[in-house]
Order: sequence, then structure tokens, then C-alpha cells
Amino acid sequence: MEKIVLPDIKDFHKLEVYLQHGGYSAAKKAFGQSSDDIIDQVKRSGLRGRGGAAFLTGLKWSFMPKTTDKPKYLCVNGDESEPGSFKDRQIFEYNPHQLIEGIIITCYAIGAKVAYIYIRGEYHKWIKLMQKALDDAYAAGYVGEKMKEKFGTDFYCDIYIHKGAGAYICGEESALMNSIEGKRGYPRVKPPFPAQNGLWGCPTTINNVETITNVPPIINKGWEWFASIGEPKHPGTILFGVSGHVNKPGVYELPSGTLLTDIIYNYAGGVPGNKKILCVIPGGSSMPPLRGDQIEGVKMDAESLKAAGSAIGTGGIMVMDEDTDLVKVLARIAHFYHHESCGQCTPCREGTGWLEKILKRLIAGKGSVSDLDLLITVANQIEGNTICALGEAAAWPVKFMVERFRDYFEQRVSKEISLPVANKVHSMRHTAIPVEEIKH
Amino acid sequence: MPKIIIDGNEIEFKQGQTIIEAAKDHGIEIPHFCWHPKLSVSGNCRMCLVEVEKMPKLVIACATVASEGMVVHTQSPKTIAARNAVMEFLLINHPLDCPICDEAGECKLQDYAYQHSIGESRFVEEKVHKDKRVKIGPRVMFDAERCISCSRCIRFCDEIAKDSELTFTRRGDRVTITTFPGEELDNPYSMNVVDICPVGALTNADFRFKARVWDMSHTNSICIGCSRGCNIEIWVRNNEILRLTPRHNEDVNSYWMCDHGRLNTFKFVNSETRVNSPHIRKEGQLIRVSWDEAFAEAASRLRTFGKDQIAVIGSAYATCEDNYLVSKFAKNILGTGNLDFIRHIDYSFADDILRKEDLTPNSLGAELMGVKPLKNGLNVEEIIKSIKEGKIKALYLIEDDILTADPEIETYLAKLELLIVHAANFNQSTNFADIVFPAATYAEKNGTFINFQGRLQRIRPAVATIEVDRALEGMALSRLDKFGTKFDRWAQGKHFDARATWKILTSLSNAFGSRWKYKMAEDVFDEMVSSIPELKGLNYDIIGDLGVQLKLEKVNVV
Ligand SMILES: Cc1cc2nc3c(=O)[nH]c(=O)nc-3n(C[C@H](O)[C@H](O)[C@H](O)COP(=O)(O)O)c2cc1C
Ligand code: SF4
Ligand code: SF4
Ligand code: SF4
Ligand code: FES
Repeated sequence: MEKIVLPDIKDFHKLEVYLQHGGYSAAKKAFGQSSDDIIDQVKRSGLRGRGGAAFLTGLKWSFMPKTTDKPKYLCVNGDESEPGSFKDRQIFEYNPHQLIEGIIITCYAIGAKVAYIYIRGEYHKWIKLMQKALDDAYAAGYVGEKMKEKFGTDFYCDIYIHKGAGAYICGEESALMNSIEGKRGYPRVKPPFPAQNGLWGCPTTINNVETITNVPPIINKGWEWFASIGEPKHPGTILFGVSGHVNKPGVYELPSGTLLTDIIYNYAGGVPGNKKILCVIPGGSSMPPLRGDQIEGVKMDAESLKAAGSAIGTGGIMVMDEDTDLVKVLARIAHFYHHESCGQCTPCREGTGWLEKILKRLIAGKGSVSDLDLLITVANQIEGNTICALGEAAAWPVKFMVERFRDYFEQRVSKEISLPVANKVHSMRHTAIPVEEIKH
Repeated sequence: MPKIIIDGNEIEFKQGQTIIEAAKDHGIEIPHFCWHPKLSVSGNCRMCLVEVEKMPKLVIACATVASEGMVVHTQSPKTIAARNAVMEFLLINHPLDCPICDEAGECKLQDYAYQHSIGESRFVEEKVHKDKRVKIGPRVMFDAERCISCSRCIRFCDEIAKDSELTFTRRGDRVTITTFPGEELDNPYSMNVVDICPVGALTNADFRFKARVWDMSHTNSICIGCSRGCNIEIWVRNNEILRLTPRHNEDVNSYWMCDHGRLNTFKFVNSETRVNSPHIRKEGQLIRVSWDEAFAEAASRLRTFGKDQIAVIGSAYATCEDNYLVSKFAKNILGTGNLDFIRHIDYSFADDILRKEDLTPNSLGAELMGVKPLKNGLNVEEIIKSIKEGKIKALYLIEDDILTADPEIETYLAKLELLIVHAANFNQSTNFADIVFPAATYAEKNGTFINFQGRLQRIRPAVATIEVDRALEGMALSRLDKFGTKFDRWAQGKHFDARATWKILTSLSNAFGSRWKYKMAEDVFDEMVSSIPELKGLNYDIIGDLGVQLKLEKVNVV
């Protein structure tokens, strides 16, 4: 299978290697066409955002006003803070130039002269790796004013890396823009949407790192080629980050629509000790969890997962075996959203803490069955009533976990099940280049 | 005009208005905490969630722009459920210290809890604890547990006071407001945050624990701190003013007032230094006398001076009614043209928000009432000069302190053969006075002021003096003011024996043998209307609560 985002080419992160394999030729090709043509090709390719909502990328770009006297911006979202999601950092590490090339093409398409890559602060290593690639690209004339000479066009753009300060909420696109502006990472009330009123009040497009990295191959090989990969309604490959109780956790680039069970059992090597699967969260911690007996036949693309009662999210697949204490899992997830709620709007600010407190009480054996109903109502009272989607992110896991594992939770609060300590699985991997070797 | 339908009622809206604004214009209140008509929209409290047909989710009425044909439901089951949810969430970590909270009685959280919540809590966990009793600025106290994080106070400082002192810090349910490092909440408008804070998180340090809100009466009035004439309410319990709050008037002060006006313009009313009943200097001492004795003494002594030996100084602190009679008294009774008032100008006080350099409420009024030198008459500077030269031998000084006009005058005041002063409080001028008439303060009388814009505004009695008939004057009552019962708050407080200047001058003129018939300030006003063209057609009802703009030749006296 062909890999689009993380090709199996040694040292692909190096500019020379990237160039040997046709690097920056997509940009050259793009600059020879009109920006509308580029948007059109991306639209037809069917590329959908990889940042969580699977929104059509070409359509998003077309929202950018054509006539405006304001500068336009591109923000590339590499905040990657959703538990279970660790795929963008592979791009920073293994394919930074394709991301940079995607950025300059996108800037050209939407008419932006400045792009920001927002990377979560905890990714020190990856920030350095990405900066190194960017410096190389600048030096070689693929970014910045020297682009004019390099590509023989009037167009050029600048790219800046902006380091986050450790808040999940800054991955939400409008909080991300506030953060770049130096303000508190508070999501903005929408409308107005970023395409009208984004960074510094100017038209702005926000896309995920993986989304943008898909752009150069689409331009080079044509939208028809891309549209034919995987599921037609959500084409291309997807980076699936698999974690939890699997033998080979890691990031797998596979065509959309690959069976969830294939990913778990074939690619990720199955469950240690051949245990049964109790629960799978298929798209990062905020997506509705599936029961082990619901995953058979489920394809990994936006539409299929929706039909199965969950969502693709960021493609972070979290596998939990039969010995997992789901109350603890849920309490840990609730703790995360409570900790990360920005505190701006009432339902999320107050509700996330309440959810965590109830769950902690259940762990302590001081809960009752009525608390399960309370969890669901509190989650429902948050959902749909907040400024940003963190509300849903906090509500969904609770609501769906309790609903879908009702029998389990009822037995658990009645202390009918006793559980061993859950396995601890670490998904950290080593980087390709030791950070010390990076020179600036 | 385009229309939307709210709960079945078709209402018109102006292009660009949000649902909450359109509703408000038609008297429909959509519950809200964070929205304020004069601040930017923050959309954070979620109390204003409403159902709009064809929209997938509930929307916030404060940020959703109305569009033709929109159908809004503010009472549908979904809307009510969302509102109850927001109320439940707001209350779970709230300390519920209503019994000791100053805001109780005028708290949006209390009111909405009564109107819009299910009345019980399902929350059995430990509440989040935060700082209490934080002195966030010299005049404002902060209780973080009561804060509902609506950001009104932050937006006020940023957008109205234009002095960014406050911000949020921390996240989630640990969020709290704080001042920026090295900052205090001490801008000249800082206390407005107390009014706009929907709960008791920010309280007035001066008023803290002084009274329950429902124990006080509130009376519409005007601030006397400067010529802006901010519209205010005077809050009284046991006949004592406990606080002032701004009253909305878009043409004058919007929803705001400055801290100086709020704190420094009412304490003299209940102060120990009040002049209580008329005084006559006998053997060097000011001695309390009856009104009749004071009037007889004043009339007989004034009669002994020639017109050119007398000067009258009116007052920009006094009402138009007072000054009108000052002018009439000077011209018709004393026959002198040496008539003027003292200006109190301080450019350092002014700003481009509300504060004006003229530190009196009624300079334009005093002028329009004719308190100015007649032909060949002396103005203030000339009066002072003439006192020094011994040419002016009798001075009639209304509600002011002549030492503020010229401190050097002190040594010459003793030279005067007669100094009569109307004063609410003993001051440097009364030290030299031969006769002191106790003047009612702006909080004890009816009348009008003209602000720097030429706007005529009314003041009303909020505090009773001995002679004020609170029924006749239509004074405001509080919930506990039950005539004749032990709850009768008016019977309890101190009542001063003081009268409005117009009233004192009426009696004094009659002691001179004239027949002035003014019984109420309104009688004086009616005469003003017939003799001053700028006031033509006006009466107290027309002036109303918000005042009327006059067409004056000159609008800013400075
Ligand atoms: C609480 C929250 C956190 C988010 N974090 C990320 C993130 O870390 N990375 C990301 O790409 N998108 C994140 N998103 C989604 C972004 O708001 C935005 O939809 C996305 O970056 C758009 O890119 P796409 O269209 O390419 O998917 C987050 C959204 C929410 C509500
Ligand atoms: S939903 Fe949560 S994270 Fe989003 S704005 Fe509201 S409080 Fe902040
Ligand atoms: S202190 Fe009051 S005004 Fe300020 S955020 Fe809290 S509740 Fe709102
Ligand atoms: S601006 Fe002037 S009138 Fe207004 S409150 Fe301050 S002192 Fe009073
Ligand atoms: S009033 Fe609309 S969200 Fe607060």
C-alpha cells in the first residue's frame, strides 16, 4: 500500500532526500495555476480535515474572501493534545518538508502571506525538528521572499512556528488564534467564523498538520488519484494512532475505511495475552466509546464510524481489554476535560468538575445507581450548550460510556466486580534523530 | 422594518441587532448574566440560550443577530431545560452565603434562581473553594467564591474605564479574576464593577454590611460632584444615606458614575458638622435660635446697609429654584446689583469619560437664573476686592465657602459688619458669620440643576428634615417603612432642622414685608418658567426622571 503522509523512505525528513523524491515540485506546479484551480482540485479530491471534525478542506478554503484589503492567514494546527492522539508529531519528525510544501501551496490557494504552525509546548523535541526543517527550507529558498526567485513567481509567504504553553484548549481553532495573538486561550463565540474574522480580525484558515501534509501529493498526482483511495466519502489515507492494550502500539498510515479489527489485530498485533476487548475509543478520548462487541465490521472513516455510533476524530484508537476498570478510565478522561476546560462558559466550567467528582466518588465505592443517571443528565446539560466543542468532548465519553456499559457500571457501583490494576502501556517511541544532533 | 417572532409575538428589529437587544426594545427580558448593553458581547454565561426554529442547537440570544422571519422560543421546553441547567451549574459551586451577602435582594443569581431553576440541587460533592474577602482595590472587595466568571468587570475596565486592571486567571472551575501584576483595581470608575457584577462577588468597600438592600428606600437624584450631573439613586435607611448608585441615562452618564461622585458627595448630609437650626453670633459665639428670631434679626440688620454696601453670592451647588430666589432677593428686596457666584474649576479632575472640570452641579443654572452682576454691579473678584477695601460691608453668602475663592479673604471677613451664610455644614465662612441659616442639602429638597450640556434635571428629597412632609413631597419608602409601626424607618433616624435656600429666602423676604407665596419648590419653578424664555412650557413632570435638554446660548460655563 502506498503511503502518502509518512512514506517509508529513509531520511525523508532531510531536505536533500525530500528533493530527490520530487520534493517541492507540487508547489512549482501549483504556482503555475490559478489559486481557484488549486482550491477546486482540493475540493474534488474529497480531502477532509484530520483535526477531528472531518470537514471538507477545499470547501473550507473557499470560504476565504477573495476581495479584502486585510491580510489573510493560515494557521496549521499541531497542538495535538487530545489523549490518544499522537500522529502529527510523526509528521514533524519524519516528513516536515511535505508539511512545509503543503503550507506554501495552501497559502497560495487562499491568498495568505503568513502561516503559523502552532505546536504544543510539550513537543520540545518536535518543535526543534520542525524548526530545523523550516530553517533549511528558508535557506534553500522554498519559504520566504526567496521563493520568488526559486519558483519564478510573484508569490511568496513566511512561516512561523508558534509554541503552545500547555493547554489542550489551544487546539480549538479560535483559542489557538487568541493564543497566537498573545491572549488567554479562550475559544471565541462563533459566528463570526475565522474565514471572516480570524487571526487579528483578519480572514484565516485553520487546518490540521496531517490535512495540510496531504496537499502536495494531491496537486502532484491529481485529485482523481486521491479520491480513489479508501472510502469515497472520506478518501485518502489516515494516520491511526493505536494505543492501549495492543501488542504493537504506534502510528499506522492506512487507507480510510480499513476495518477497525484489522488495525487492532493485524497491524497493531492484537491484544496482549489474547484477552478480550472490553472497549475501544476509535478517534481520541473525546469520541464515543464502542463496546468490544460493537467493533466487528466497523470501518475507519467518518461516515462508517458515524453509522456505528462514534466518530473518526483524530483517528486515535484506544483499546481496552477485559480487565480494564472502565470507571477509572472514565474518571481519568473526565479529569482531563475538567483540568483542561478553559472555564469560560458555565456548563463546561462547572459541569466538567461535577462529572469528575461523581466518578471519583464511584471509584471510592460511595456511589449508587442513581449517580449513573446523574452522570448522563449532567453530560446532557453540557452538550450543545457551550461556546466550543470541548463541552461535547467532555460530555460524550461519559454519556456514551455509561449508556453503552450500563450493566457494567451498575455492577461496578454495586461492587459486584472486583478488578485487577489496569495494565500500563507506554506508547512513547524514540525519535529518528537524536535532538542533540540538530544544529541551528 | 424587518420582523422576528418571539414567543408568538411579531416584533420589529433594527438591522444588526441581536435577539436580546430586539427583545429588550420591546420590553421582553431574556434572562442573562454576562450580557450588558454597554459592553462587548462575551457569550460566556449561556443563560440567554434560546431555541430558534431551523437552527440545529440552541443559540445565545446575546450574540445571535436577528434576521427577517426568525422564530424564537424563550419559553419552550428545550429553552427552559437549558436555562435550568445553567442555573444548576452556577449554583453547584456557589457558596450560597446570601444571608451575609450585600448583593442579596438585588442579585441576578438569586432572582433567576427563584424564577428559572428547579429549586433543588443534585450536587452532593465538596464545592470548589476560593479566596474570600480580597481587597482587590482601595474601594472594592472581591469574593471569588461568589464570582460566576461573567467577565463584566474585566470588560468594564478594558472598554469603559479604559484601564485594563482585571483579568481571569487559572482554568476550569478554578477560574478567578485577579488584577494584573503590580496593578490594583483603582481606576476613577472602579466602583461601577460593583453595580454591574451580577452577584455579590464585587462589593462596595464603603457600603459593605451597612444594610440589607430591601431595608433602604431609593430616590432618583443627580450627583453634585461635577457639572456632568450623573443621574443617581440615593439609598437611605433610618434617614441616613448609605450609598449612591448610578442611574441609567444614555444622554448624560449611561450606566456609570465616578468613584469620587459615589463616595464623596453624600457623607456631609449625615455629618456631625451639619448646621442644625438657625444660629446667631452672640458674644462671639454662634448660638442656636428660632427661625423667627433669625429672620427678624437678618431683616433688621440688612436694612441698615445701603445698596452699594451689600453683596450677594449665590451658589452653583444650589438648585435653580434657590438661585432664582437669590437673584430675586438681591434685586427686589436688597436692591443690589453686586451679585455673582463662585466658580469651582479644577482641570485636573476632568477626563474624557464623565468627569468635568467644573466641580459644581449647577453653574449654568445659576447663570440662567440671573445670578450675575447687574450693570455697574460687582462680580465675585470685585466683591472680594471691595470687601478688602472695606467698601462692601454686608455679605449674603449662599451655600458656599468664600475662602475657596480667595484664602486671603480670611483676614478681611472680620471687617465685614454683617455676614449672613446659608450653609448645610459649618465651614470656614460660617466661622465668621453673624447669622447662619441651616440649608437643606440636595438630598433633602426638590429642585433642578442644569448640567454642562444645558440639560435640566431634577433632584428629589431622599432624607427627611424636620419640616419636610414626606407624604406631601412624595418621598420614596422602603419595604419596611410602615407609618406608625416599629418598622417606621423614618421615625428612627436623625432629622435636621434645615430648609431649602429658596424657602429661607421666601420667609426672609416676607420679614421684609413682601408677599412671596412659594410653598413648594415647584411654585418657584412655575414662576421661573413664565419669566425665563429658555424654560418655556416646562414643568416637573415634563422634566421627569431623565431631564430635558434646554436650548441655551452658552453651554459650557468654563
Ligand atoms: C477542545 C478542542 C481541541 C482541539 N484540538 C485540536 C488539535 O490539537 N489539533 C487539531 O488539528 N485540531 C484540534 N481541534 C479541532 C480544531 O478546532 C479545528 O477544527 C481543526 O484544527 C481544523 O482542521 P481540519 O479542518 O484540518 O481538521 C480541537 C477542537 C477542540 C474543540
Ligand atoms: S466549552 Fe469549555 S473549553 Fe470551551 S469555551 Fe466553554 S469552558 Fe471553555
Ligand atoms: S466578579 Fe462579578 S462581574 Fe466580575 S466576573 Fe465575577 S461575577 Fe462577573
Ligand atoms: S462624573 Fe461628576 S457628576 Fe458624575 S459621578 Fe463623577 S462627580 Fe458625579
Ligand atoms: S447573556 Fe448571552 S451568554 Fe451570557
